[in-house]
Amino acid sequence: MKEIETKKFVKNKFSEYYQKHSSSLQPPTLIEKREFGFLMFTGRVMVRHKGFKNVDDLAKSLKTLVPSDVYYSSAYYERPEEEMEEKGWLGADLIFDIDADHIPTPCEKIHDAWTCNNCGITGKGVLPEKCPACGEHRFDDKTWPCEVCLESAKTETIKLMDMLKQDFGFSTKEMKLYFSGHRGYHLHVESEKIQLLDSMARKEIVDYIIGLGLETKLHGLVEEKGERKASILTGPSLNDPGWSGRIARGTYEFLSKATLNDLKEIGLKKKVIDTLIKRKDAILESWKEKGPWGIIKGVGAASWRKIAQHAAEMQAAKIDTVVTTDTRRLIRLNNTLHGKTGLKKIEIPINSFESFDPFKSAIAFKEGTLKIIVQDAPQFRLGDQTYGPYKNRQVELPTAAALLLLCKGMAKVKGEE
Amino acid sequence: MKELDLKIEDISEPILNRAEHRIEEALLYALVSTQLRKEEIEISSFPVAVMMVASTADKRMKRRYALAEAKRVYNLLKEEKSKSKILEIAKIFNWKIRLADDKPPYEFALFFTDYLRNATRFQAKGWKLVNRIMLNGEVYLTKDDAARLLEEEVRVHIEKKLDVKEKVALPQNVADRVERLKQAFTKQKGKIELEGFPEEIVVSAFPPCIKHMYDNITSGHHLSHIGRFALTSFLTNIGMTAEEVVNLYRSLSDFKERLTRYQVEHIAGERGSRTKYIPPRCDTLRTHGVCIGMDEICRKVRHPLAYYRRKLRTIKAEAPVERA
Repeated sequence: MKEIETKKFVKNKFSEYYQKHSSSLQPPTLIEKREFGFLMFTGRVMVRHKGFKNVDDLAKSLKTLVPSDVYYSSAYYERPEEEMEEKGWLGADLIFDIDADHIPTPCEKIHDAWTCNNCGITGKGVLPEKCPACGEHRFDDKTWPCEVCLESAKTETIKLMDMLKQDFGFSTKEMKLYFSGHRGYHLHVESEKIQLLDSMARKEIVDYIIGLGLETKLHGLVEEKGERKASILTGPSLNDPGWSGRIARGTYEFLSKATLNDLKEIGLKKKVIDTLIKRKDAILESWKEKGPWGIIKGVGAASWRKIAQHAAEMQAAKIDTVVTTDTRRLIRLNNTLHGKTGLKKIEIPINSFESFDPFKSAIAFKEGTLKIIVQDAPQFRLGDQTYGPYKNRQVELPTAAALLLLCKGMAKVKGEE
Repeated sequence: MKELDLKIEDISEPILNRAEHRIEEALLYALVSTQLRKEEIEISSFPVAVMMVASTADKRMKRRYALAEAKRVYNLLKEEKSKSKILEIAKIFNWKIRLADDKPPYEFALFFTDYLRNATRFQAKGWKLVNRIMLNGEVYLTKDDAARLLEEEVRVHIEKKLDVKEKVALPQNVADRVERLKQAFTKQKGKIELEGFPEEIVVSAFPPCIKHMYDNITSGHHLSHIGRFALTSFLTNIGMTAEEVVNLYRSLSDFKERLTRYQVEHIAGERGSRTKYIPPRCDTLRTHGVCIGMDEICRKVRHPLAYYRRKLRTIKAEAPVERA
């Protein structure tokens, strides 16, 4: 009973937002060629295959339907409202999704929780393989948009943007960066150059970004026949373009920080590790010339390959592979609310990304307070204020903070007051 | 033909001969020779040959002819000393390409979308974008790389030309030539016709990724979206009925019969567009983390169905067989 009331309450708040802010809605490029999809509060059903001639029609629809989440297609269609096979695909933007769900962080143990669908038992941290109580495999999991998680998502996004700019040559005009409103960032490339790429080509781009199939040999880490003696190992330099340079820079970075344990973990032999640690200064110094490949006695080709491979993995950006390869993906519309947080998806100026604070900029509800009953919530920050942790308590919070907990299902609205 | 303003009835005997010979070379030796001394005949016999092959409505013949003609272009480009020939042909296909001499041994820089359109069909690791030098959207290429990519562009271009929907009407003398070629080709390909899959499902011949998902699903474990698609399309392709596949998913706690049936039947091609979906290729499964690691057979194939076919053969040679 209470849950339905909370849902209704949140829906009313969303309705208020769309009534007041419909003028700030930002239509996607060529709105009339996009498919729209609305996730509804009731029944969690997705209403798809919608089309709009202009942003006013879209705003009208949002005001009457009040969906919990609003999506549009990365694709452009001749007839967006027809069934999939009849739409007439014209091309699609290139979309990247960096979500904290794909990046392991130390804090998920603290704020992520799960509930077994079958017996209702709860736990913290990463989902177990099966319920420890009843053996069931299905869970309701609650993740949390936390600062540490979002910070790691930011790091991945910066790596991604670097590749898109340096390697792929996209200009900042062609790229749009967004905070998703929950646990990650979206990067859209809108350009005629890439619209017609098929799924296979996009898959190759994904493999490039995540470094899948990377062969250090093909980036110049090779043994060459020396003059009299056996072979000499040569490798890429710090300033080389693309992945070659990334392998070199990654190796430099890794070796300058690597602890004994780090080196052990990538499977190096004890003797090699000792040499690497002892000769660390010489190794770092060697980059001014041709890099350490081959010149450090006691570290062979196989060891260097292991180090370089690991270093390369650290340089890759962890993106959601499915989103980018899908040429008909539905993605959240800018300046609309996220049903799991009550925050909004917002565009971030690319050159101010480093200092971007999602917990400030994405706040949609800026006025008033709400009284709610919180069951269980971790400590969190919104704006300049820190709240919680709360456990089975009635509190009065600013609207945005209260809505976040309500949307997350961690709180209920207070009865009839 | 229209470009050259030729009427099929007017085509001279030498041109018809050369056209027939081109096709014959393609079908029998997979390579069309280059006879530069009779340039006029070389040029005009090509569209004639294209029309003749298009009229056969034989997919394999078309594919083979397109490949052989493309190989001819590759060989010509490879021999060519000057780089301008490559640029010239690349321009025909609107490639964004330029000469680049700052990064030896590379000689060209090609915009990455032109690169990907052709290179995604190549299997060697050296063609993966992640293993190339790319800067500012340009992929660096040797002359041989460029020639090989152009070969692919030409192949696809010819295949498209051959893919005509309406029937091509040929005068009797030309039709006779086509008929002769068809017979020669059928005779040659004779035994290589692919055999179908056996009726029983042989679980022990599943590739590791499919086996893993199959075991997971039958013990009620959750499976990712793409995992479900790969498993379902694999099973319907090796002869499992939609009904049997639906039953497999029954042990999942979020099983919804109507939805599952709809999706499985869709993949099996019994609904909607009536296309029967085939499972994704190995490298696609790798990108999405479905591949759990390769065994020996995996290293020799690129597709889960090819794995199954291969493993079946080795199992057949041995005995007995575990069956589901």
